[in-house]
Amino acid sequence: MRALAAWCRRIREIPSPLGAFLVIGGMFALLKLTRPVIPHSVILLYMGFVTVGVLIHITLDDERIRRFNDFFVPQLGEPLARTRLRWGLLAVIPIVAAAWAYDATRPGYAPPVEIFQRHPTVGAEVLDRIEVPVWAADPAKWDDAILSDGKRLYDGNCAVCHGEKLDGQGPAAEGFRYPIRPADFTDAGTIAQLTLPYVYWRLTTGGIQNQFNSAMPRWVASTESSGASSAHMYDLSAEEAWRVIVYLYNATGFEPRTN
Amino acid sequence: MSSAAKSINRLIVLLALMTTFAPEVALAQGGAVLRDYQTTAFIDSRLAVWVAAQLHLMFAAFVLAVPMFAWFIEYVGWRAQRKDARLAARNDWLAHEMARLLPATYSLTAITGALLGFLLFSAYPKFMNYLTGVFGPTFVIYPLFFLAETLCLYFWYYAWDRMQGDKKWAHLLLGLFLNIFGTIVMFIADAWATFMMTPTGVDEQGALISLYDAVWNPGWMPLNIHRLVANITFGALLCAAYAAYRFLGAETKEQRALYDWMGYTGNMIALFTMLFLPFAGYYFGFELFAFSATYGVTLMGGVLSWLFIIQAIVIAVLFIGAAYYAWLGLLRIPGSEMQRRWLPAFNVVLISGFMVWATPHTMAASIEESTGGFHPILGALGLMAPKMIAVTLILVVLYVSYLLYRRAGRVITVAWGRTGNIVEWSLIGLTAFAIVALGVYGYFAPAQVRITTSIWQIIVLITGIVVTFTLDYLLLRDSRTVAEVQWGSMPRRGQYVLIILAFVIVWLMGLMGYARSGVRLNWHVFGIMEDMSASAGLPSLGEAAIIITSITLIFFTLLAVAFAISTLTESKPPAEAAATAAEAGA
Repeated sequence: MRALAAWCRRIREIPSPLGAFLVIGGMFALLKLTRPVIPHSVILLYMGFVTVGVLIHITLDDERIRRFNDFFVPQLGEPLARTRLRWGLLAVIPIVAAAWAYDATRPGYAPPVEIFQRHPTVGAEVLDRIEVPVWAADPAKWDDAILSDGKRLYDGNCAVCHGEKLDGQGPAAEGFRYPIRPADFTDAGTIAQLTLPYVYWRLTTGGIQNQFNSAMPRWVASTESSGASSAHMYDLSAEEAWRVIVYLYNATGFEPRTN
Repeated sequence: MSSAAKSINRLIVLLALMTTFAPEVALAQGGAVLRDYQTTAFIDSRLAVWVAAQLHLMFAAFVLAVPMFAWFIEYVGWRAQRKDARLAARNDWLAHEMARLLPATYSLTAITGALLGFLLFSAYPKFMNYLTGVFGPTFVIYPLFFLAETLCLYFWYYAWDRMQGDKKWAHLLLGLFLNIFGTIVMFIADAWATFMMTPTGVDEQGALISLYDAVWNPGWMPLNIHRLVANITFGALLCAAYAAYRFLGAETKEQRALYDWMGYTGNMIALFTMLFLPFAGYYFGFELFAFSATYGVTLMGGVLSWLFIIQAIVIAVLFIGAAYYAWLGLLRIPGSEMQRRWLPAFNVVLISGFMVWATPHTMAASIEESTGGFHPILGALGLMAPKMIAVTLILVVLYVSYLLYRRAGRVITVAWGRTGNIVEWSLIGLTAFAIVALGVYGYFAPAQVRITTSIWQIIVLITGIVVTFTLDYLLLRDSRTVAEVQWGSMPRRGQYVLIILAFVIVWLMGLMGYARSGVRLNWHVFGIMEDMSASAGLPSLGEAAIIITSITLIFFTLLAVAFAISTLTESKPPAEAAATAAEAGA
């Protein structure tokens, strides 16, 4: 207990600018050293909060502000270590600024950072053109033949990424370097929130080589667009795609949204 | 206010009303063929409408909100008149001081409203023709209520000194009518705005079937509630910023004390209403999503989803700033060291809580930074369950801060004080524990269960607050005051925080205004009337941020002018109030 008290006292005796530097620098080092890497955008966000927290702590009390400022004022007869510490901390500011400037201006080969969209926005003019077959729009008409065919197609084409249990845990799910995993259809945040035309659009449009930045292939060849392509674009017919979609809803117990 | 300024005000209001009606008159004359779109300004029509609409909304929010809490403060003062004359005088001064900001800002509301009307009718004639066709009767009722609100406001403000004493009840009645008419005006305008988002009461071609359904569309009441609460937060923070500005320029101790109190009151009102805003926002979002899945996709998963990360950061700044100001307030109370020693711990909870709150589930990452799916740490923190734990614990910390502020400078005298204290703090600890436990359980539970646990977290929080506050009230009922609040002794940095908070709330309102309007994508009226103009596309987030910042700067420039006009006539604080303030500030 005494050791703890002595330790606390020693911490309190650390000059507050050094304490601030240790908290900010320590947090930055911790975030930078974390593996897998934390994206730069998130580190910037976190460091903003940490810096604000440190500023709040220092300025909550007039006495603390005075002690912080006094550290930067040379005192007669002060220990040499304190003088060195002061100049050392003051040197940190231009060093950090220079490192930042260097990092921002050095030539790089990495593609620009992309913002990922979980459910890309698509205009009504696109979705309105997708005709939902009468049998697909009505869950009462999803008979065993449709569902078993949908399962066969799903297991053969989709389960490798999305998993046999439709939970996004397929054997290939770990193999992609994309910002998001294959969709977990059992989660209430995916197909349960979407309409049938949207799910069909997503399945048939895919994500390869377009702005959606996902590994989802394009499964159905479109007669209207030859823009994006994938090795799987002729693997499913429109009818088969609808059977897969119907199976997804039936197996997860969700109902497609109608509006 | 001088008679010249009064005349200018009246003239502006008259012009505004005339301009509001003018386009309707022009449309009614017939003869000319209506074009779908016209360019009326030197800039893009959509941009011009955006700027005018946002400015109008901001001034309207201010003039609707300030009378609400000013009236309430006046009412509290009136009720306290018999028991505590000094408190009554101080409340009356504060309410009047807040109301003093209204005449000039009301004129600016009318001017920006007229500008918006002019731009809409001239740049989008076909759309406005349709909207006036659907909402015809409301376009007649609206100016009538606007006129009634105008009359009430000017009488309420200018007759303040004459209607003291026995006539105070009549003055309060006038203020009540002002608030009722103002709310009705907002509700009518909300019907137009929400019809564009969630249209009902019309057939597939847009022909009117039921005006009632068109008005009471799914988005109407949620937006009414959301705006009502948000307006109060907005107005309170702007009043607080005005008080901060006056505090910084105060020449006497009395003035400093009074404006310190005004700033404190504004911040408290804002902080209180801010607690309800997330729930009002969720309700509005819920109704939008129930109306169309496209809204949910666009707002939360698609093109506007990153806007909500920015919103989370800006809200964090608001809460941190308000909490910081409240903590600094303890410096006003001598002997509050006991309470202040908790602040470093609160600071850690607040900052780490907001770090979790702002963690994006899917991050803006380069290919080098991509980790093949969700990041094991950040992916977990970005989920709803940890965010709910974080945000509810932040609310607990803010509430406890308030409890400590109440206790500073007071000694509990009731016999059961020690036991009561133990029970109260144990209950608060239990509340925090239950919130964390529910969150952890929700994290591992399926999504449907997770939504339920988050509702239970809120219920636990509210129950905890109600029970412990009741206990706290009983504990402090007959407490002995050993140190008075030293109004006016607040550090200057606290005033700068209030000014920053005002800037942040204005910017946030601009951001969410853009989200609300932008979510319709390329529709004037969602699913019924498409926007076929050249500028129908959404701007990028960066471009939107520049425009929102420009609107914020224009707003503050105009507001500064309005506040400068307000200060032309100096209202002297009542002698009793000044004496109290001086006593407190000594």
